[in-house]
Amino acid sequence: MTSLEDKVEESRKLGLQIVKESEEDRLMTLSVGPQHPGSGHFRFIIKLDGDYIVYCDPDPGYVHRGEEKMCEYRNVIQNIPHLERPVIHDSNNVTYSYSLAIEELVGIEVPRRGQFIRAIASELNRQVYTLYWLAIYGIFLGHSTMFMWPTGDRELFIDLLEALTGARVTHAFNIPGGVRNDMPDGFKDRCIRQVRYFEKRLKEYEDIFYNNPLFRQRTEQVGVLSKEDAAKLGVTGSVVRASGIPYDIRKAEPYDIYNEIDFKVQYMKSGDSYARSYVPFLDMKESCHIIEDLLDKMPESGEVRAKLQPNPKGPPGEAYRRVESGRGALGYYVVSDGTPKPYRVKISVGSFRNILALPYLLVGQKLADMPAIYWSLNYWPVEADR
Amino acid sequence: MTTAGGFIKAIESGTKHLVIRRFTLRYPEQKLKFVGDGYQFDPKRGVGIAGYRGRHILIHDKCTGCQLCAIACEGIAEAIGMVKVDEQWKQNKKAIMPQIDYGKCVFCGLCVDACPFYALFMTNDYELSSFTKEHLIYTPGQLAIKPKYQGDVEIVIDDRGATHG
Repeated sequence: MTSLEDKVEESRKLGLQIVKESEEDRLMTLSVGPQHPGSGHFRFIIKLDGDYIVYCDPDPGYVHRGEEKMCEYRNVIQNIPHLERPVIHDSNNVTYSYSLAIEELVGIEVPRRGQFIRAIASELNRQVYTLYWLAIYGIFLGHSTMFMWPTGDRELFIDLLEALTGARVTHAFNIPGGVRNDMPDGFKDRCIRQVRYFEKRLKEYEDIFYNNPLFRQRTEQVGVLSKEDAAKLGVTGSVVRASGIPYDIRKAEPYDIYNEIDFKVQYMKSGDSYARSYVPFLDMKESCHIIEDLLDKMPESGEVRAKLQPNPKGPPGEAYRRVESGRGALGYYVVSDGTPKPYRVKISVGSFRNILALPYLLVGQKLADMPAIYWSLNYWPVEADR
Repeated sequence: MTTAGGFIKAIESGTKHLVIRRFTLRYPEQKLKFVGDGYQFDPKRGVGIAGYRGRHILIHDKCTGCQLCAIACEGIAEAIGMVKVDEQWKQNKKAIMPQIDYGKCVFCGLCVDACPFYALFMTNDYELSSFTKEHLIYTPGQLAIKPKYQGDVEIVIDDRGATHG
């Protein structure tokens, strides 16, 4: 005689009370981070019901450095080294839009060869960033070969940038008015040789990672962001392109010589984690073509840098310019009051826009799918905090 | 592609690398070759000359003690300070020259761009580690010495893949 009623009766006699489990008790709160949930200090609080995520609250701000305020105390040239610190793997693209905005304010025309060298450096740097991102995505999903290969092949582009700019990671190469120095001798052949070798390597990446059934099972139909939601949330870069919107600043709002370059905007329609991780790969392929095209069309000689006054300053006014960085649109809004120091600098980054989609994507997914969704958003914590 | 086909392709592309030479650079034994002798700047043309941005070199008989490098560094790293030297130069009446703290320097090279007298350049030397912070501060005397950096390895690409050799 051990039915439930009997047990309840027995416990009543003993003075005990049976309490039913409430909804709140079933949920477990988990804090992911702030010590490097991948790269950079960032925390998100998630609530779990069993294996499923029911709530997510991203909490950025651990690496806020006040870059925008720092800009107000330095002149336009001195701002360059500290502005590239938030995302050192993509430092040429970060300083690119800043230089464009200052050029508009001061009224400088960049020489044609300078524009080409800038675009080449920016494309090379985008490859460096995407490879680093891909390496972390590989190790997130437990694929250690995909961590080793991109980290190694990244050296091909770091080597080229080292020859071109003089530094391996923080280049400080773009400057209002052009670039710091001309290309060294023999750079063109070296660049073409290494880029072609990298294109061969990309085929191997596809075999071992993107066409790997294990990887596809973990990412396909995981964290689907529909076309309408992507447009509403305002995500940029590879995330919006993976949801079926072919939007690329290089095409939509061409800067420097990008309107002369023939390239396709790579996009996919499914909007899942697989598409979000495959679009940067397609971008890398396209970047290789862009680099070869740029080297082909580049004028053989000429000025690379417009002459500047020691303390460049323009009339009071404002400028907003955007470029396509590794993580999407990256814009600088600069206000000048006529002095050599900017009055206000506002940085609009792709990382911060993309992380806004995280709470919508994680709810309803399993905890094991969290890394696949989080890192596919192409997010760089340090840049978002800036 | 079928699931089995995908696995076979993935394993095949990985195992192929068992027989291919490694890409890794074996650092202290091998050192990378750089373009030229380091980053330089031509104030007449107003444009830099490509090169690696390592430790600086100071050419004493051209430095006038104008402090432009220290002013350029002020908002960036505050690594350059002007110090008195016991040397007599016609162009340097105040006898002051830059001293660089490599614990603060970010190697952006904007001090080189600021020098109008061809006195401050950068070199290929990047091996600057030391046991104390004080040893990272290079006096004008130390900055005048040419570094002995010997790099001889670069990326070699052939049909069998890429390697450092």
